Amino acid sequence: MKSSKQFDICIVGSGAGAGPIAYELARAGFKVGVLEKGKWFKEEDFFKDEQLARHSVFRSQFKDERHTLEEPNGDGSWSSDTTSQFWGGNIVGGATNFMSAYFHRLKPQDFRLVSEYGAIKGANNVDWPISYDELEPYYAKVEQVVGVSGKVVNHPQLEPRSTKDFPFPPTAEHPVAQRFDIACKSLKLHPLPMARGILSIPFNGRLSCEYSGYCGNYGCHSGAKASSRAALLDSAVKTGHCEIVTQAKVYRLNTDESGNITSADYFDLADGDSSKRVTAKLFVVACYSIESARLLLSSTGVKHPNGIGNRYQQVGKNLHCCAGGTGHGVFKMDKLKELEAKQLKVRGPFFNRALQDWYEIDDSAVSGKPIKGGTLDFVFDPPSPTGATSSLKWQGDNLLWGTPLKQKIKSHFTQSKDFKFEVFCDWLTNDECYVSLDTQEKDRWGQNVAKVRAGFHPHDEKVAQYLVDRGVEVMKAMGAHKSWGNVFTQPTSNLVAGGCRFGDDPKTSVLDKNCRVHDCDNLYVTDGSFMPNGGSVTPTFTIYANAFRVADKMLERMRADVSLIS
Amino acid sequence: MLTDKGLKSGSNKPERVSAYSCGLNRRAFLRQTGAGAMLLGLLGAKPGVVVAADKVEAETVSSEEDFSFHAQAVIEAVQMQLFPDDGDGPSARDLNAFRYLTWALEDPDNKADGDKVFILQGVGWLEELAKSTQGSSFIKLGASEQDAVLKQISKSSAGENWLSLLLYYLLESLTLDPVYGGNTDGIGWQWLEHQPGFPRPVEGKTYLDFSSVNLNEK
Repeated sequence: MKSSKQFDICIVGSGAGAGPIAYELARAGFKVGVLEKGKWFKEEDFFKDEQLARHSVFRSQFKDERHTLEEPNGDGSWSSDTTSQFWGGNIVGGATNFMSAYFHRLKPQDFRLVSEYGAIKGANNVDWPISYDELEPYYAKVEQVVGVSGKVVNHPQLEPRSTKDFPFPPTAEHPVAQRFDIACKSLKLHPLPMARGILSIPFNGRLSCEYSGYCGNYGCHSGAKASSRAALLDSAVKTGHCEIVTQAKVYRLNTDESGNITSADYFDLADGDSSKRVTAKLFVVACYSIESARLLLSSTGVKHPNGIGNRYQQVGKNLHCCAGGTGHGVFKMDKLKELEAKQLKVRGPFFNRALQDWYEIDDSAVSGKPIKGGTLDFVFDPPSPTGATSSLKWQGDNLLWGTPLKQKIKSHFTQSKDFKFEVFCDWLTNDECYVSLDTQEKDRWGQNVAKVRAGFHPHDEKVAQYLVDRGVEVMKAMGAHKSWGNVFTQPTSNLVAGGCRFGDDPKTSVLDKNCRVHDCDNLYVTDGSFMPNGGSVTPTFTIYANAFRVADKMLERMRADVSLIS
Repeated sequence: MLTDKGLKSGSNKPERVSAYSCGLNRRAFLRQTGAGAMLLGLLGAKPGVVVAADKVEAETVSSEEDFSFHAQAVIEAVQMQLFPDDGDGPSARDLNAFRYLTWALEDPDNKADGDKVFILQGVGWLEELAKSTQGSSFIKLGASEQDAVLKQISKSSAGENWLSLLLYYLLESLTLDPVYGGNTDGIGWQWLEHQPGFPRPVEGKTYLDFSSVNLNEK
């Protein structure tokens, strides 16, 4: 094995937790190396082609690597199966290439769940070691640097802001948003324009949104979507101080007798899977919660016999997903006026509405005291006509074909329009939701894969059901001809966080308040792993903000310690 | 975006769709439809099919056999039953469904699934059944007799799987981008009033090209 590359800072992964570190440290003149196991695709590669997602072109292939997933069966027993569902985007920029980019901030109470709402039996809630106020400037920074479009509207649950409004105006809205606003006002709710990590006007070499209507899990062709790649890594590379090493699958961090990281070993997938080594002064791990925990657990050393940061068996623990559910409102075209039908059929602009009226639930029907609730996002799923059609051939348990099938498909596409909402509430951390190494299942390189045990707390279902019911009420008030909702308890594979939570006590946390591993002086974890709880929103915005915060801490340290400067 | 994994909403067996979108391959999907579980019940009735399905399950298929003119004629006839020229919307022929099928079956994953062999073996089985129950090759039967034969085979799980697999590819030829060979000139989209995204995929930039090309030097 030859030592091929040397950096000041080596970052494992290139998604939301990695981009801000690379951006800030490269701009400050430090030599940054980003190790990404996938390839580097650009705007011109992102065709709106359903086949790309169907064939997992931008994700790790199941045959190469996978996860073991254990889920409760509901009768005390657990299922166990291998899955590729947790691969959200394994290319430069990671899963941020394929996010919908609903950018809600967390709220002050999310940082102090126990102090605000008290402990919940069976849940591992803790207060954060930092307050909302400490993270607020970095939310503002993300809004400007990464590019967040929106409009601040005053409402009872609005979190404090240091800036009056978003730096970019809202993205274009679908006509259904008006119908939504009227319905919400009739229910005395506060309809909120949803902030998006999508540019509404060109910025920093990126074009604004093209409104093809194919967002979400389609890569962005214009660069408007605030992926770590388009918004941060491209700029970092332009400084001349950041190198992105692609097809570099890191499998081990090497530590010395003091417990510090000396190097990272990776398989060079572009060079026959040969093993190569990178040295650096500081290391950052940010390759999605599950894989970050796996890397730490796999990296044993003299000082770290059970894996880095794992002397108190905390690595991989307190993993969380997004609890919640989804709901639908279906409008039948033949029951609408011609203009209304035409409006609802428009494809291109966004629904962009959210409700946070129940971010805290104060309803004696649910609980004697206020409890933490969540967010309802009203959204469009990215179109997937082939995926949608393929299920229509079933009528109950029987296969349908011929004219009846044709008519069913035609009706599905032309006679109705389905609007969706998604509910986000806390997936309470608990002792049955964690990552460990699967000693049986190996990946293509002979390494133990990560095993995810995905136990949930029954409290989540109660909260989620309450919110789903509210969403269905809104759909009805909008005039939907059919509406329903479902709570789910399966892991949201694209929205996993925790696993290396931060805290002041090394016995109950992996990282200190600056996201440095307690017993490994030169290692930081900056993806969603640090979060003790996810907030009742998608976590990407917060991961970005926190990574910018950690970048500042790293810069302070680099500048103060001459031994860290090359 | 939340993945809809495991939701049991609606009446169209969405778990089959979500199984696909969350990363299970179609092999697993076929198993879910009962191929594995119900094969046992077929042992007496259709030994030929059990062998065929066993081969698919065991991934030992390595046949490079192509569609004969006869097999093509049978598949095209079945496709026209599945998606007929009924005066409303394109037929299987309009969608170029057979050409799309032969192309899609060469996809590495579909090949690994053994789909082509399964489909060809199903042709033999269908022909056998048509001759024994209707006294003639499937392609020489009238529309209602053909439909009766299809209804009959759909009662066995392997037969249902065979039809389901043909429908799977046929419906792909209805809504996938024309660059893949079906949906001629977007005829399927026009019928469904479906607005495709942009930019649309072009020759040389299909999913197969992305899967094979090494972009490291870019």
